Amino acid sequence: MALSPLFEKLTEALRTLPGVGPKGAQRMALHLLERDRVGGERIVSALAEALEHIGYCQRCRNLTEHECCAQCSDPRRDDRLLCIVESPADLLAIEEAGGYRGRYFVLHGHLSPLDGIGPDQIGLEQLEQQIVQGSFSEIVLATNPTVEGEATAHYISELLTPYGVNCSRLAYGMPLGGELEYVDGGTLARAFTGRLPYSSQ
Amino acid sequence: MALQPAYLLHRRPYRETSALVDLLTLEHGVVRAVARGVARPGSRTRSTLQPFTPLHVMWRGKGELKTLTLIEAAGPGVLLAGEGLLCGLYANELLSRCLPRDFAVEALFAHYGALLPELAVPAQRAAKLRRLEVTLLEALDADPVFSVLKASDTGSPTMAALHPQERYLYDIGSRHFFEASHSQQGVDGRTLKLLAQGDWEAAGLARQSKWLLRQALLPLMGDRPLRSRALMQSLLEKRRQRAPVSS
Repeated sequence: MALSPLFEKLTEALRTLPGVGPKGAQRMALHLLERDRVGGERIVSALAEALEHIGYCQRCRNLTEHECCAQCSDPRRDDRLLCIVESPADLLAIEEAGGYRGRYFVLHGHLSPLDGIGPDQIGLEQLEQQIVQGSFSEIVLATNPTVEGEATAHYISELLTPYGVNCSRLAYGMPLGGELEYVDGGTLARAFTGRLPYSSQ
Repeated sequence: MALQPAYLLHRRPYRETSALVDLLTLEHGVVRAVARGVARPGSRTRSTLQPFTPLHVMWRGKGELKTLTLIEAAGPGVLLAGEGLLCGLYANELLSRCLPRDFAVEALFAHYGALLPELAVPAQRAAKLRRLEVTLLEALDADPVFSVLKASDTGSPTMAALHPQERYLYDIGSRHFFEASHSQQGVDGRTLKLLAQGDWEAAGLARQSKWLLRQALLPLMGDRPLRSRALMQSLLEKRRQRAPVSS
């Protein structure tokens, strides 16, 4: 049963969020209307602002409301390293993991011939421009370990060959704290082919 | 239903945690199905359901769109990288573009399975892809007919055998050959006779077999060019620009 047309419209809109079904949308709508109208106002203004101002960083295509994103304008970051990721979510994951202090480039997708996504759609021209303007000595190809991510890494490494930069790829490996028995065959096979000399250092 | 051997041709995200997959199966040809929950973070089938990996699947549903009920690896997948991977994508795009759904192509299935490990060997790629194209054309009864169409006075064309010294062009509509005029290049009858015997993979005939197969595939593919082929070509083009031929 619908409470009112406007309520219906609100739940319908909330369902565009990932992970929100009809029941969840209803709970959210009731919560905002009954218990937290101020919170609702905050969402409205934040959303409107974000939608209006957030675009792509001119250098790395990361999401930002400025001309250059926080990672690109941070002077303490290493200008010789460039990490290429498929999405801003991947960038955040690497940042959260820590350890990497270089620059980024966000593709917003991957090459997928069967979906009709070619090199023009993932900002490779801008990437080439960055390589020409920058002084990178290593490019880390951190696209996903899927067929499409692999194809994208291959294409980019070929594209960048004339610029004389070294390309590296994230290693395939065993999950930390995992058990050999339960690791899928593909990962195990890749971990085997990519095994490293043992070092106790 | 019984376990069905299959290969994943393509998968795309569907809803939040599912995927829409095109599978090449042994007894049912290309099948489109929903793989429920396969994109969930902890999903065990997530890494199993990958292209170039022999699978065993089961599904339910009678309509166009099935629902997978079981996905298991049936052996180790082929680790393709670089150009071999692009060739694999080409094979997948070709099959998903040309094959109708739910049309059994058992010979092609067996051939596809045997092709994958060979794509890892650079020298064999082109020849093996040609063989896949021939097998695909044969499965769909669209392979070239090696005889010559000749116009006759009565109006209905007559059939003749290929002549080794004559040059021919291929007619896509009738799947036959016709004699090339002096200004047209065409392919000589001797080469075509070798191709008719099944010499598609012979190194000396690579250019001609590619030419003929591409034309024979045209009516099956529609007007959109294959994206994976365009990708390979753009890489080749870039490589050529980098290394100017010294001669």
